[in-house]
Amino acid sequence: MFATLERLDHEAPLLAGADEQVPGGLRSAAVDWRVMSDSTDQAAQTEQKQDPRAQFEEQALPFMDQLYAAAMRMTRNPADAADLVQETFVKGFASWKTFTQGTNLKAWLYRILTNTYINTYRKKQREPYQGTIDDLEDWQLGGAESTTATSSRSAEAEAIDHMPASVVKDALQSIPEDFRLAVYLADVEGFAYQEIADIMKTPIGTVMSRLHRGRRMLRELLAEYAKERGITPAATRSTK
Amino acid sequence: MTDCGCEKARRDLEEYLRNEVCKTEHSDIAEHLEHCAGCRDEALVARTLTEVVARACKESAPEELRDQVLTKLRAVQAAH
Repeated sequence: MFATLERLDHEAPLLAGADEQVPGGLRSAAVDWRVMSDSTDQAAQTEQKQDPRAQFEEQALPFMDQLYAAAMRMTRNPADAADLVQETFVKGFASWKTFTQGTNLKAWLYRILTNTYINTYRKKQREPYQGTIDDLEDWQLGGAESTTATSSRSAEAEAIDHMPASVVKDALQSIPEDFRLAVYLADVEGFAYQEIADIMKTPIGTVMSRLHRGRRMLRELLAEYAKERGITPAATRSTK
Repeated sequence: MTDCGCEKARRDLEEYLRNEVCKTEHSDIAEHLEHCAGCRDEALVARTLTEVVARACKESAPEELRDQVLTKLRAVQAAH
């Protein structure tokens, strides 16, 4: 009995925490629900009976910019990205009743986006060796563990920090897709490993490996760019 | 807290920085970072890389996309 009570006690802040992730005006609606007394229950019920489309639009559409940014990194062009986002929302709306209110809507939408991309767009774009990329050894992928001498790490951080956005995007674009996606979901969206595993439908170990290797390749590419442009002082470079 | 040493700190650095579970205690990595400038720099590079990627990938959806989606959703609803 005590245990049950204790768990319920803990659930309240957890749920409140989940609400925080919902952007904008929604949060106040969610808070109102909790605080509401009998007199305002009617308003709550009206909200519950809200037209599903209006509810979907209100909750899901604020993620449009984020989904579009991800779609841009996936499809690499604005027209396909827009189509992919549109399709994601249509599919999301079609299965809206399967979404559990209070759970992570952003992750839910990203799952649909990623699925749609893999099932339709990726086939069109023909990227070779996709299936085997995880099996390749690190030396086959290139990218050395140590590209700069230890003493120049802070210089490397500074060089990365000053990298133009277009260079970073190009570098990201040139690493294998599954690695790129893992890096994107972790670094740009801040998803936890488990969430990325759910979105990409892979074990956590695979997520970690893709993320680590993807980031290492990215780092190597940016170091190379910095070297070409003479951003990193030559004296601090190791000879490999 | 015990300093975990460079090898473990480097191996689990990414997980430590992301607050993910890893084989080394987070407090031991924190302790090591406090004492090791080399690993601290490594952590700085890792954090900077995340920031720079996040910054570079910011996009705004085109204005007309929102309208297109709204129109589409209405059409889908009307069809059912």
